[in-house]
Amino acid sequence: MTSAVTIPRHGGTGGRTAVAARARQVVKAYGAGETRVVALDHVDVDIARGQFTAIMGPSGSGKSTLMHCLAGLDTVTSGQILLDETEITGLKDKKLTQLRRDRIGFIFQAFNLLPTLNALENITLPMDIAGRKPDRAWLERVVETVGLAGRLKHRPAQLSGGQQQRVAVARALAARPEIIFGDEPTGNLDSRAGAEVLGFLRRSVDELGQTIVMVTHDPVAASYADRVLYLADGRIVDEMHQPTADQVLDRMKDFDARGRTS
Amino acid sequence: MTVLKTSMRNFFAHKGRMALSAVAVLLSVAFVCGTLVFTDTMNTTFDKLFTATASDVTVSAKDASDTGETRSGNGRPPTMPASVLGEVRGTDGVKSAEGTVFSTSVTVVDAEKRNLSPKSGAPTIVGSWNVNDARTKKITSGTAPHGFGQVMVDADTADQHHLRLGDEIGVISAVGTHTAKISGIAAFTVTNPGAAVFYLDTRTAQQTLVGKTGVYTNVNVTAASGVSDARLKRNVAARLGGAYKVQTAKEVADANQKSIGSFLNVMKYAMLGFAGIAFLVGIFLIINTFSMLVAQRTREIGLMRAIGSSRRQVNRSVLVEALLLGVFGSVLGVGAGVGIAIGLMKLMGSMGMNLSTDDLTVAWTTPVLGLVLGVVVTVLAAYLPARRAGKVSPMAALRDAGAPVDAKAGRLRAALGLVLTGAGGCALYAAAADDRAKDGSLWLGLGVVLSLIGFVVVGPLLAGGVVRALGAVVLRIFGPVGRMAERNALRNPRRTGATGAALMIGLALVACLSVVGSSMVASATEQLDKTVGTDFIVQSDSGQLITPQAVRAVKSTPGLKRVTEYKVLDVSLTTPDGRTTTKETVNAADPTYAQDLRTKTVAGNLADAYRPDSMSVFEGFAKKHGIRVGSKVTVAFRDGRTARLTVRAITSDDAVIDKGAMYVSIATVARYVPSDRMPLDVLVFASAGDGQQRAAYTALKSALHDYPQYTVRDQTDYKKALKDQIGRLLNMIYGLLALAIIVAVLGVVNTLALSVVERTREIGLMRAIGLSRRQLRRMIRLESVVIALFGALLGLGLGMGWGATAQKLLALQGLNVLQIPWSTIIAVFVGSAFVGLLAALVPAFRAGRMNVLNAIATE
Repeated sequence: MTSAVTIPRHGGTGGRTAVAARARQVVKAYGAGETRVVALDHVDVDIARGQFTAIMGPSGSGKSTLMHCLAGLDTVTSGQILLDETEITGLKDKKLTQLRRDRIGFIFQAFNLLPTLNALENITLPMDIAGRKPDRAWLERVVETVGLAGRLKHRPAQLSGGQQQRVAVARALAARPEIIFGDEPTGNLDSRAGAEVLGFLRRSVDELGQTIVMVTHDPVAASYADRVLYLADGRIVDEMHQPTADQVLDRMKDFDARGRTS
Repeated sequence: MTVLKTSMRNFFAHKGRMALSAVAVLLSVAFVCGTLVFTDTMNTTFDKLFTATASDVTVSAKDASDTGETRSGNGRPPTMPASVLGEVRGTDGVKSAEGTVFSTSVTVVDAEKRNLSPKSGAPTIVGSWNVNDARTKKITSGTAPHGFGQVMVDADTADQHHLRLGDEIGVISAVGTHTAKISGIAAFTVTNPGAAVFYLDTRTAQQTLVGKTGVYTNVNVTAASGVSDARLKRNVAARLGGAYKVQTAKEVADANQKSIGSFLNVMKYAMLGFAGIAFLVGIFLIINTFSMLVAQRTREIGLMRAIGSSRRQVNRSVLVEALLLGVFGSVLGVGAGVGIAIGLMKLMGSMGMNLSTDDLTVAWTTPVLGLVLGVVVTVLAAYLPARRAGKVSPMAALRDAGAPVDAKAGRLRAALGLVLTGAGGCALYAAAADDRAKDGSLWLGLGVVLSLIGFVVVGPLLAGGVVRALGAVVLRIFGPVGRMAERNALRNPRRTGATGAALMIGLALVACLSVVGSSMVASATEQLDKTVGTDFIVQSDSGQLITPQAVRAVKSTPGLKRVTEYKVLDVSLTTPDGRTTTKETVNAADPTYAQDLRTKTVAGNLADAYRPDSMSVFEGFAKKHGIRVGSKVTVAFRDGRTARLTVRAITSDDAVIDKGAMYVSIATVARYVPSDRMPLDVLVFASAGDGQQRAAYTALKSALHDYPQYTVRDQTDYKKALKDQIGRLLNMIYGLLALAIIVAVLGVVNTLALSVVERTREIGLMRAIGLSRRQLRRMIRLESVVIALFGALLGLGLGMGWGATAQKLLALQGLNVLQIPWSTIIAVFVGSAFVGLLAALVPAFRAGRMNVLNAIATE
């Protein structure tokens, strides 16, 4: 399925930086005083445009919180988050909603689709909500890429778990967002279906020039990424470029061992 | 024990989700208890009043009713000669006796001729100030009436009309108008049920009310010490020799209580009926709540089953929750019921009937009934969901329990629903086709019940089609938000069906009654147009007869072409088949009445019935007694001699006005009834010459200015009065149905609120991918509107069907015209859309407030 597709440019403001999103000194804390828990502790991170970034870390490391903050789903205690050149920290709900609708795509671990809508309706939902017409040719390509052409009229209940996640991927891609966030998108899938979905994400980066940020704790999933960020105790502690599953696993073991001895 | 514990925990964990069900139980129980407490309190109040006001033994004229005065034909109260008082005084065991005169066939006006009678329908009483009445009243200012020019008024009436000492008052009776100045004001020391009471001195009362002195309407007897009322009654009755009615205090009180009690009973059962409808609607709400709780808890129940709970235990745990809900709602409901009763008493107070909360009567049966009813209904309603909970397989614990999409509503349900609806339709058809009213109403009842149950059963199946159709019309304009609302309404047809059905019941009754009501107005109007030839009708709205002075005033009005007097006489009839029927009435009128009301005849000419010694009978009577034109009927006038009259016409039974009347001319009656016993006119008809109607109408009104107890209406006014009367009745019923509709609306709120909870994750997802709060709220509102419109459509359709059937059935009684009040129907339909918006207010707000992250994270 290799094809000579050119990387699509995002319509809009013209000259774009190589950084799709960035976090500057981001702190996220819950509670106050004695019970204060810091989930993110002065995190600085740049998400490169057109790259597949994985965020890893043990449970409670703050990896999901970081993603939620980057995606405008959660608010930060202090620091700045910028999406392209837009600062999203401090935006009101209305603006944030619009931002999510128009510039961000989501793939969750489970329950990604509305049970009342069929696959195609689910895919076009963000654009329908925005009152935009989907780009027919693009939509067809996305659908074809994720291999759902024959199942567009099916309801989620009639699709397998892997197919459902592929619909979710297609939905995220269809609106051509600047950035897609995945929260353990393959967490509920068996390894074959998971590999399928990850393959599509990889291809969408390579072939469609999509920017993707994915939270995962699965080294195999992380190995699909261009870059892996390691989070521990709310801080970025390491990163790795062009990883393989074994490298990721070894690094994880290291952290685990260090975590236990410390 | 663990069952109880888990039930308790579940109940308290989900108390928010049960809140609206509890309110539904509360409202229904409160209405039942409120009705019972209110009517019991009324009974207590009247009981006290009647016991307090009656003297030990009362003697009254033979033809007085048990409760007091009878409206005799000549507008004067039935009396006895003053000599009776002397006889009573001489009777053994009598301590004292006092003759009194009173009448309720009176109108009392102030100096500006404004009517002082209570608007509540309570009586106006004018009587002589006497020892017995003085026991229950206290003169608060001025003095008791003394002499011809003085009158005393009760304090409530004085307050209400701002009457002061020295103000002029006119007492209008059959005798004439008597003016007097207020000499005193007396306050009731017992509860005044709203009557307006005026006192004159005995002589003035005799002259004003009866027209002659030396007569009494009552003799109040007080027993000597040691003499029982019963013995006193025997002594007095023996002395008077059966010519008069003699009653003990208890008998008078009981008779009064009976007459007011039957009215209170009608009111009680009517209100309980509406409470029953509210209960019925509440059942849907409870079923929905428990179904949704069970669905949301499927995994939990599966786990319980997996670790060894039996079906019975699961089933029972749900029922125990229902029991808790029932007890909770009912206990609050009983309390609220007392509140409602007090509210109703205050409302009566504002209408002039002063009920004291000291008399508040809560029988022990009232809270017991309320509790039992509330608990039983709640547990019964929860039975089906509980059974469904018992059927949850242990596997459910392992499956992902996302919101189930229950699209299949079962073929059995469809078949059953269609059979029931079909049977209902057939029964309604049979009712419409039946030409005997009695069988027909049985069919109608059966048809109403069957079609209602059928619609409820088949509702979830109809939901699909109806919601799609509504969606195509209403929701398309809202784009994807509308589409999602439509899908949400469709995703669980059983839930949408039950929610809509709750609303359907109330609105079906509204539609049915509005169809019957407007058909009544239309039929009567048509009849009026077809048969009534008179221009003006003079009558008293309080049922008073028309005095000769007023009739003279009408007759001397310029511009009138003809004036017809109309009287009703009590007679007994002996027909050619040899049978005698007593307690019949004949209608005596001037011969011009044949032009005023063009009654159809099946034989003979109606004008001939007004010839000397002639009469007419109605079709049914003629058939029953084998009467033909030319037959002779013996007519014994109660207040006169017996006549032998020839039947000259037989009137058709296909009539609305004067149906079943038998006519005779006043001239004929005058040959057999002495003039002093000739009854007064019930109605007077007048017609103006061509083109002079307007002037005559004005002239007639001013001619009757001095007689405020009578109202003149032209045909337009008359139709309007008729319409208003039916409108008032309908409004009262709509008001009572409002309870059922409120419960149904709570049901819509309930369904939406629980759906929002159930769809927390979905809502989170939608918000995450960019649905704005406003769009989310709109989506929920639209879903609510669609459910409400679904219920309205079904209800209005069903109700119009019932109404049309009832009209066809009642066509036998003259309800010839079917008129569908489209404006009402459309207003109700549009109104339900607004109700839907209102119901969605809180659920939509809460959904909008949901935290996106929490929503996504919810298990």
